[in-house]
Amino acid sequence: QEQGQEDQTTTQEEQTSTDTRKEFTFRVDPVVLGIWEADVDTDSAKWEEYRDVSSGFVPFLNIEGEAGDRFMNFRGEHIRRDDARYNFSYGILDRYSIVVDYNKIPHRFGNNGHMLWTRTGPGRLEITDPIQAANQTTLVNQFAVNPSAINFTFLNNLLRPYLATAQEIDLGLIRDRTLARVDLGSMAGFAWGLEYTHENRKGDRAYGGSFGFNNVTEVPEPIDYDTTGAQIAGEWNTQRGGLRLGYRYSEFENNISTLMWDNPFRVTNSTDASAYQAPGSASVNGSVIGVADLAASNEASLLFFDGRTRLGGWNLSGNLGYQIMTQDDPLLAYTPNTAIQGIGFDHQRFNASDPATLPVRSADREVQTLSLNAQAGTRFGERWDLTFRYRFYDYDDQSDRIEFPGYARYQAVWEEIPRITVPYAWTRQNASAELGFEITNATRLGFAYILESWDREFREIESSDEDILRLTFDTQPSNWFSLRASYEYGDRSIGDYHTDAQEFSFVEPEGINNLPGLRKYDEAARTSDTFNVLAQLFPTEAWSFSLGATGRDEEYDESEFGLVSDDTITYNAELSYTPGENLTFFLFGQRQDRESFQRNRQSGGTLSTNPLDDWQVLLDETTDLWGLGMTSRFNESWSAELEGRWSKSDGFADFFSPPGGTPNVAVDFDNYEDIELLSLLGRLDYKITRNARAGLFYRWEDYTIDSFIFQGLQNYLPGALLLNPNFQDYTGSILGFELSLSVD
Amino acid sequence: HAGTAKPQPPPAQPAAAAEYVGSETCAACHTDVSDHLAQTPHGKGAFAKLSSQGCETCHGPGGAHAENPDDPALRPRIDRMSPRQQSETCQKCHDGHKQFFWKGSVHDRRGLSCMSCHSVHNFKSHEGQLKAATETEACLSCHKNVRTDLWKSSHHPIREGKMSCSDCHNPHGTQTAKMITANSVNDQCYTCHAEKRGPFLWEHAPVRESCLNCHSPHGSNHQKLQKTSVPYICQQCHSNTRHPGTLYDGTTLADQARASNRIFNRACVDCHAAIHGSNHPSSPYLGY
Repeated sequence: QEQGQEDQTTTQEEQTSTDTRKEFTFRVDPVVLGIWEADVDTDSAKWEEYRDVSSGFVPFLNIEGEAGDRFMNFRGEHIRRDDARYNFSYGILDRYSIVVDYNKIPHRFGNNGHMLWTRTGPGRLEITDPIQAANQTTLVNQFAVNPSAINFTFLNNLLRPYLATAQEIDLGLIRDRTLARVDLGSMAGFAWGLEYTHENRKGDRAYGGSFGFNNVTEVPEPIDYDTTGAQIAGEWNTQRGGLRLGYRYSEFENNISTLMWDNPFRVTNSTDASAYQAPGSASVNGSVIGVADLAASNEASLLFFDGRTRLGGWNLSGNLGYQIMTQDDPLLAYTPNTAIQGIGFDHQRFNASDPATLPVRSADREVQTLSLNAQAGTRFGERWDLTFRYRFYDYDDQSDRIEFPGYARYQAVWEEIPRITVPYAWTRQNASAELGFEITNATRLGFAYILESWDREFREIESSDEDILRLTFDTQPSNWFSLRASYEYGDRSIGDYHTDAQEFSFVEPEGINNLPGLRKYDEAARTSDTFNVLAQLFPTEAWSFSLGATGRDEEYDESEFGLVSDDTITYNAELSYTPGENLTFFLFGQRQDRESFQRNRQSGGTLSTNPLDDWQVLLDETTDLWGLGMTSRFNESWSAELEGRWSKSDGFADFFSPPGGTPNVAVDFDNYEDIELLSLLGRLDYKITRNARAGLFYRWEDYTIDSFIFQGLQNYLPGALLLNPNFQDYTGSILGFELSLSVD
Repeated sequence: HAGTAKPQPPPAQPAAAAEYVGSETCAACHTDVSDHLAQTPHGKGAFAKLSSQGCETCHGPGGAHAENPDDPALRPRIDRMSPRQQSETCQKCHDGHKQFFWKGSVHDRRGLSCMSCHSVHNFKSHEGQLKAATETEACLSCHKNVRTDLWKSSHHPIREGKMSCSDCHNPHGTQTAKMITANSVNDQCYTCHAEKRGPFLWEHAPVRESCLNCHSPHGSNHQKLQKTSVPYICQQCHSNTRHPGTLYDGTTLADQARASNRIFNRACVDCHAAIHGSNHPSSPYLGY
């Protein structure tokens, strides 16, 4: 027998050798030349949010090459467009393969935003000094005469002439993603994989730069990110089990790590106790420029180990991962405002705009994570199965705690409030046991108990336990019917709730507290009910139906304030009719209802204890999604496709505040958030020859948004100078013609 | 592709009546199936080298069926196997790699098999030989509630085809919950959003624990995939003195008398722009 296997192996090697000498034969299947004519009625960025549907040529090419066991493929989608994707692969089946994938993903946030600034360098946005000087002079003069007149109307009049000629900016970015992967097949029982990834993200997105409560200056944040990754992993599999180990490295580099932008109202630095409220009746002072420390460059290394085996009737599997994440960006000074003097722990004054006065010059952060997962499953008797699982994840921020003697509030004024960094840490453990019983060969009932425990450092709750009971039922008694259902009940109990956990970030007790009755929902005690049911019927070859519902209800009964309940339920139904090989109809509909309820209490400078100051809001969202369509092949030559989809969200914010307190009344709004998208597609294809096809399609979309958060938005509003780009309503269409050829 | 399959010994010889007849015999009747298969990976030479019995490597011995082709009971149909047997048939070759943790995975336990999503003979997708035209459609055939989310205004570029479910999940099984491919939700998100990874000088604790505390990755009616829109999502945790506990209602919208920059545009994030963490020494409140 061994001799036979050797002969077989030898024959295979000879065959492989022969295969590698074969010439490649290529098949182009297909090459498509498309011509699109797009028409859209507004400049909304939503129209091309993640795609490039501009008018022009839209080529597609798929080439498959083969030479015995060797393969070489190329696929190009939307060639040379902003959403292009290219994929190349080469290899010998079962020996090795090389894949290179390039994926370009646009993400457009908004068009035609207006800004007073001019980009004068990477991360530098300037307003000419004469404009700043004119505004400052006007404000200082007015402040000297009548400070109370410095209101929105006054400021609006001040900025309006400049906004009228403000330059436009389109906000958006493009991700250029490259992946190269080499898979080496069996080598001494091991398979090795090498992977390299690189992504460059470039563009702009809106950033909430702020000089204070009354001077939000939204600016375009320059994005120029490089994210590089590499992984090597080896895998060894036998009949008895398998092992996999590997190392993954990731580096994120922000090529523009600092953003500096001018204050439209100041040309000289100044400060006073109320400067963070400027410009207004209390002050017209502040910083000339604002500085933001943008996303920090960082690194992560992960060592991982996976294993599985079968032992004594048990399937055992698990993995172990150890990760280090570091970040050591240089720190900026407390403020660019040279008028601000800091006050040190020794009560000596220092130059807060000099980074040399910082207690440390770089962030020097390090987090270590450890993950461990293990699973053991077995079958016993004729129909029983049992699975035990344990999951452990530990997030440990090992960074030093750094004390700062204070901070510059909004680059405007020094706050002598010593602060200290907080290295949050947590551990999550999840242990479960699941017992399954096969009632019949096609019907299984499962019952599981899960215990999820959290331990945290520096947060309101040090530990919590959640008991979860889960019941699952799956049956497919015949080819024409299946039912899948699950129900889960969860009960999370918590230890003592430390309302004053915020104090961890203060060197000395500050006395800043949340409401004593508030429970942060990610930690709070709760009960939950989750269900999922899906029935699928295929009564005949032609008809199929499905009916289902999914829901989750979270109740935070012990939370007097904060999130009190969150209930979502989704219904779905689908129908498909295929009377023959050449005709299919489908129809589907889904409705999702969500209600979340939260309660708050309004306070002034001191925490209110008056229940009349309470307010609450029930946020209600109804989301519908409907679709219908048909595909038809009329004859050997002609085929058609029609499709329509309609999605709509309809939200309502239902407020209440008891009379007699502050607030005294609360006013609802009914655009939380109302969004509608109707999409229609029609397509007609004609098969010219066996290898040639012509297609004509028309896509039409209508998008509308009515959202409270953008209602009445303008470039300048009380306390906010905004970019206000357009990502709102549009009606657009694409008419496309495609010629497709296949060449053997 | 390389490394995803390994050479198999001939299946154990079954009962005497079950004899192998060879793929040529199958093709003599099942011409269309055979011709189509030849254009797919399972019809290539490499498969022939890995499989000792051609069609019968998966279907089992066809001798009895060849002798009595009209007897439906003798047809070696894989869909007559139990889901577990179906998967074991595929896993004779497709074991390891993405299928490394298939056994005991939630899809395995709940009675799904490879054939639930894939088809050797009648696949519609460009990759993965899926029964559905795209990977997303394959997943949505069961996870129907996710379709509603994908069509919400704020979404990942899944319906545009620039991402797919398997960018975050491995349906063949992982050791982590929800079959995500990383060791935690945040580790998963950082693969594309590495700028949020930090660690930062000033941290926002719930951000470090789970992105899902604030975001719905499958889709949302609110910008930035927020579960609940700002400012209310912030006020579900922050209700202390001054502005965090203040009521922002219909009277405070941008075009109303009490217009507040804490509700319009990006609300709280208009000022707390570094909500995911900050390195600025003066940013304990995550301003910049």
